[in-house]
Amino acid sequence: MAPPDDLVARAQAGDQTAFRDLYRQHVGRVYALCLRLTGNSGDAEERTQDVFVRLWDKLRTFRGESAFSSWLHRLVVNVVLNERRTTGRRERRVALAEDPDSVVGAQHAAPLHQSAGLSIDLERAIAELPEGAREVFVLFDIEGYAHAEIAELVGIAEGTSKAQLFRARQLLREKLAG
Amino acid sequence: MNEDELLRAVGRLPRSIEPPRDLWPGIEPRLQRRRHWYWIPLAVAAVLALVVIARSIQTQPAWDVTMLAGRPLLGNTRLAASGRLRVGDWLQTDDSSRALIAIGHIGQVEVKPGTRLQLVAARRDDHRLALARGGIDATVDAMPRLFFVDTPAGTAIDLGCAYTLETDSLGNGRLHVTRGEVEFETGPRSSRVLLGAIIQTRPAIGPGIPYVEDAPAPLARALVAFDFENGGARAARTILALARAQDAMSLWHLLQRVDPTLRAMVYDRLAALVPPPAGVTRSRAIALDSRALEGYWTKIHNIQFRRIVLRGVREIDPRTGTTRRHE
Repeated sequence: MAPPDDLVARAQAGDQTAFRDLYRQHVGRVYALCLRLTGNSGDAEERTQDVFVRLWDKLRTFRGESAFSSWLHRLVVNVVLNERRTTGRRERRVALAEDPDSVVGAQHAAPLHQSAGLSIDLERAIAELPEGAREVFVLFDIEGYAHAEIAELVGIAEGTSKAQLFRARQLLREKLAG
Repeated sequence: MNEDELLRAVGRLPRSIEPPRDLWPGIEPRLQRRRHWYWIPLAVAAVLALVVIARSIQTQPAWDVTMLAGRPLLGNTRLAASGRLRVGDWLQTDDSSRALIAIGHIGQVEVKPGTRLQLVAARRDDHRLALARGGIDATVDAMPRLFFVDTPAGTAIDLGCAYTLETDSLGNGRLHVTRGEVEFETGPRSSRVLLGAIIQTRPAIGPGIPYVEDAPAPLARALVAFDFENGGARAARTILALARAQDAMSLWHLLQRVDPTLRAMVYDRLAALVPPPAGVTRSRAIALDSRALEGYWTKIHNIQFRRIVLRGVREIDPRTGTTRRHE
């Protein structure tokens, strides 16, 4: 496979084969973020596809001022949050007992190790968080965004972001302790 | 679990999770479709732009011109038989050439020899020529105020009529109305020229007082003196002395142009020649009350029309517009 920069340049020029390789390189990261932000594997698949379709349209605006992965990351967040705003969809979490395969963390490709059980529990607990708390938790604690950035991305006050994070952590501790 | 343990667990979460199925088959067709859609609006826009440009070229305002004699010059081209006069184009005739211009769909203009004119506007509500010099015979069959001819001395405004308009190289002009009515306007000054009447025009001054085509020559000269030669009160008195009932149109204009101190005298002469219609009082007319003036004008207008239209058929009393009885 070509170096990432070369792939980006070729995809920018309209090379669909290069774009497919770009998809293969980044789909795991994109899907993981979509899965954690939506809390649902079905929605995550749709959003992942939306992200790459959007990426195809937007790719020519990427000027290399930041790492491609960071730029793509921001695109993922925007696509997921915009979709939630425009459709007004409520969180559609799937009950674990009803559809175990759709549960976040059930399909980890990473090999299981000693802490795998805890990771899966944590993924499930994150998926069950209220929407607002989940988004802030994923963006802050997992993806490393600052509260100011989250406030801008989600369209909330910075203080609300901090409050949602506090709430999310508290809920997770309670769930994982139980 | 405390917060540190939670955050350590978060730190161990995988950064990447492979989706349970290959999502590419759902992405690829959307890329192709979107790429097509990307071009379709552009293609449609390009086609529309071409259509608009083509239509604008086809529908660019232009009037048909037909050569009547000689080789008139249309723009820089000698007119062989016919051509199109577009907005901004000049048409010139020499001493031996004439041309006929179709004024859109509302009339026609015969361009006399030695004329230079330009098509200024060719809109539905504004058919406009500029006559720089020479002469035209215009015939219009349309609602009033659709056809205009700009001259160095002002604008002839068609009120549904036929007329001859001439302008010499100094901008001095003459308008003779042969059907209907024409208004000639220069800034605030305007003259209403009825069927069978004439006005002289001068640049920087505008239209003179109209007079009927059979007006005595001394009366016409007095009007010119009043309008263009600072004739003042003396010329006004001459006009009043020479005026007949047929010249009521001239006195109606004179009333509005003389010094206010002379208005009563003009009104009295006009009223003696053509009695005012009901509702028009002396005081209101002298005060130039618009309703009084319009009422008087309507009567003068009707008499003049009957007089000209029935000329040779019946003898019309120029004081009343009624048929004269012979004892």
